[in-house]
Amino acid sequence: MAFMQRKQKPQPEGTGLVLFQEVQQAMHAEKVLRAAGHVVRLVAPPPELRKGCDLAVEINLTEQPAIERLLREKDAAWISVAPQRVGTAPLLDVVKVTDFGQWTMVRAGNMKITYDKATGIIVNVSGGGCPDIPYLYAQLVDRPLAEAPRPTEIGFTLCALNLERALAECLALHAKGGTP
Amino acid sequence: MMLIAGTVPIQGLPLTMGKVTDEGDAIVIGDRRIPCTQGTAAMISAALVTTACLGLDPPHGLVVGDIGEGKGSRELYQYLIDHVERLAPKVLALHYWLPDMGQTRELCRAVDRCRQRPVMIADAASMYSAKAAGLAGAFDVFTPDATEVAFLADAEATHPAHVARHLFETDAAHVPELARAAYRNGDAARLLLVKGAVDHIIRDGDVLATVKEPDVPALEAIGGTGDTITGLVAALTHCGLEPHEAAIIAGRANRVAGQHTRATPATRVWQVIREFPAVFREHLCSWSGVCSVKGENHD
Repeated sequence: MAFMQRKQKPQPEGTGLVLFQEVQQAMHAEKVLRAAGHVVRLVAPPPELRKGCDLAVEINLTEQPAIERLLREKDAAWISVAPQRVGTAPLLDVVKVTDFGQWTMVRAGNMKITYDKATGIIVNVSGGGCPDIPYLYAQLVDRPLAEAPRPTEIGFTLCALNLERALAECLALHAKGGTP
Repeated sequence: MMLIAGTVPIQGLPLTMGKVTDEGDAIVIGDRRIPCTQGTAAMISAALVTTACLGLDPPHGLVVGDIGEGKGSRELYQYLIDHVERLAPKVLALHYWLPDMGQTRELCRAVDRCRQRPVMIADAASMYSAKAAGLAGAFDVFTPDATEVAFLADAEATHPAHVARHLFETDAAHVPELARAAYRNGDAARLLLVKGAVDHIIRDGDVLATVKEPDVPALEAIGGTGDTITGLVAALTHCGLEPHEAAIIAGRANRVAGQHTRATPATRVWQVIREFPAVFREHLCSWSGVCSVKGENHD
């Protein structure tokens, strides 16, 4: 059975901050993000994260790629996005390659893409846990690497960002013949 | 009732709940056909095959369309927050969604109000938000892979993309060490099934068992083979096994199914799932002592 849509009761509790040079930029970005359905709020950044003005937009850090894409599309200015917890490590940039003979698997962070060395066709996508990953699986699998949509263009989350890195590495490897 | 909840990549699919039926390479919930690919559908499908083999009622699925925008995720969690007490599931397995710490807190409070607390299992982003919200201890089972156990071990990380490099680069031999760090920080469920080349079953920081045979390296590349393990754990727990017993059997069954399939990195997860009945016929009695529960209803 299907249910009627319930009234949403979003409970903002962000894990990231968008930092701005000027207060007006922060207020404009907050409006843009709210209008698009993101659960955000204006907050004062802690001194150790402050880069420009003393106003920031608190976001769900998982949505960083979608939020940055939207701000770009709306010509909204911002300095950077930072994890709210000060000790948080920077985004992982570790890429590992596994040779399966006929296939190559590339892992970037928590995401993996496997492609056929001869044809360059993506045969599997694995890892991750955000809701755009099953969608990206459907969009990428069975496509040649060069024709696959870019995860950061159609995805929304940090998992998609790692998948983008894996795809970029696959493209570079395949151009070189498929092995590292 | 065993309830499995998560998003599926079908834009516009409204919140849908019901008993799950099998349709080959798809599952059906209500009148909705959902292809059995990586994610929640693979998890539900593995649980469904297991209940069918054991003669138990099928799982109930609670799904919603969400391709990453988060709207469906929020509706799904709000529905659970509002109705979990009435639904009173015996096992509640949570899967893909856009992680939200606030809603995770509300859901855990709602679960605390249940007359009989369900066995709480989390994988994928439901596990991420439980950890980020400091609520891992409210869960009975997490099923991380090697990357995700590093995430659990990193006290500051709120998503596996932000794991400290020295933890991420730790090899599989150090899984117990990472798990102990997660337990020290209060960021692990009571039981961890760490999926990998060697599956580790860890309770309160102690390694209870490892599963490494048969070795089927291609499983790592196949999208959804981690999801199937979690679905197996949910179904076997629902059938009455202790979570650690369910985890050991799930790890073995997934590997043997991969071997039966002659899995390559190009194999699809539904091909692995369709081998589970043969695997259970051959091994479940000796692995678990569960030899025939046909006709029983454990709800």
